[in-house]
Amino acid sequence: MFSRIGYIIRETLANLTRNLTLTIASLLTVIVSLSFVGFVFLIQDAVGNQLGTWKDGVEVSVFMNPDASPDQIEGVRRALEPAQNSLIRSSRYVNAADALVEIKKLFPSTPEMTDLFSKDGQGVPTSFRIKPTSTESTVISSITSTFRTMPGVSIVRSADQAIAFIRKISSFARWGLGVGAVSLLAAAVLLIWNTIRTAMFARRREIEVMKLVGATNWFIRWPFIIEGMVQGLLGAAIACGLVWTGKNLWRSKVIGSFGSQLNFDTLQATASQFRSVIILLLVIGAVAGSVASAIASSRFLDV
Amino acid sequence: MIKLDNVTKVYNNEVLALRDASFEVAKGEFVFLVGTSGSGKSTLLRLINREEAADRGEVWVAGGNINNLSSRDVPKLRRKMGNVFQDYKLLLNKTVFENVAFALEVIGSPKHVIRQQVPAILELVGLAGKQERFPNQLSGGEQQRVSIARAFVNRPLILLADEPTGNLDPATGEGIMRLLDRINKTGTTVVMATHDRNIVNMMRRRVIELDRGIIIRDQARGVYE
Repeated sequence: MFSRIGYIIRETLANLTRNLTLTIASLLTVIVSLSFVGFVFLIQDAVGNQLGTWKDGVEVSVFMNPDASPDQIEGVRRALEPAQNSLIRSSRYVNAADALVEIKKLFPSTPEMTDLFSKDGQGVPTSFRIKPTSTESTVISSITSTFRTMPGVSIVRSADQAIAFIRKISSFARWGLGVGAVSLLAAAVLLIWNTIRTAMFARRREIEVMKLVGATNWFIRWPFIIEGMVQGLLGAAIACGLVWTGKNLWRSKVIGSFGSQLNFDTLQATASQFRSVIILLLVIGAVAGSVASAIASSRFLDV
Repeated sequence: MIKLDNVTKVYNNEVLALRDASFEVAKGEFVFLVGTSGSGKSTLLRLINREEAADRGEVWVAGGNINNLSSRDVPKLRRKMGNVFQDYKLLLNKTVFENVAFALEVIGSPKHVIRQQVPAILELVGLAGKQERFPNQLSGGEQQRVSIARAFVNRPLILLADEPTGNLDPATGEGIMRLLDRINKTGTTVVMATHDRNIVNMMRRRVIELDRGIIIRDQARGVYE
């Protein structure tokens, strides 16, 4: 048994180095395609996480006219009581002074923005911040249309469109990368297949002799299958490194610099999501490599 | 040991290689297959080692019908026989020792068996001091001895030889012939396809003659003619 394992390892190593150019070509294709696959999953996770965070905090903001009368404000407040409107979980009023603090917080590096308003917040639009009972877009738009027409209301805003926009962008990125990943993966499988075929052709004399002295087909195939699997796994491992680097760059350069200001701290995969992606990549690499070589080695075994 | 029953083999639906061949070879027998090139000698050997399957008729080897052998069972059949070829089919990047050891390795023999069997068989074929040479450092006769050692190292029941002396001068060919004769005397059944008139006439063994795929003579202690 040990001599057999030794034999398989020796043969696999010899095969991998014998056809160095082909091995490198298939390795590179595996690396690029699996990196794409990895990024697709990371983007999906990141967007999912961010949308989750945003949805938890989804608010509908009803902005009042700066010159709205106290009666009008009171009217809106009463209409916002959960008892009055079943779609509303809670609401709070942001008066002019609070609104000014918020603006200062949002634009810390541009004091000019707040200078537009007087110190006590005169002229800053006040608003009601509404937590809906659900973040379904039908609920959001129903609330929006109810309050848009009330007296004293200037505009109703929600994060609904923003979320839809992010969704669209991310699904576009996923599709683009996904199609690229799948076609590259197909190319990788074909290249591995061709590498194995070439390796078998280079060793056809040996294979012929092996068959004549009674080697089983599996005995002949194992080194080739393992060679394909090693190519897939090695490519996947390097792809994991690339994905890891990309994820860290994103975290330190993008999230670290702008994440908290622009409110997308959670636009990244969690550690456990990243781990699953890594495992997935290694599995895809190993399976793609072994399947390609298994098919090639059975197809060309009939010497 | 070997039995053919009305065996016909046609290649690509048009080339008739063998027609209604029937004969039986007993255990320990030595048989020459003679005939011109293309008469069907090689096809016969390839039917016995199951490189080809018969189109009609039945082939029996070592008590089993090999017509419908599954690809899983072919290796088991091949382990019962050794093959020797005109062009030796040695692996040029392996030493003499490794070439012979290869036959044991691929059927999963343990290392200590290989270390013990290979030198013994190399001694038997007369290559004791040349274990570490590579095939192209050897003469044709020596290479053929390596190939016979490889075929015989797992003590097969049957040895199939396809023109084993075809590339050798008469004196060297005679040496190879004597070696095959010795192997036959250990009880191994030998079937040898050959053109070599002198050797057939010298040995006086059973001769099966083929002509365009048909057995035209099966004679005990025959000559080439």
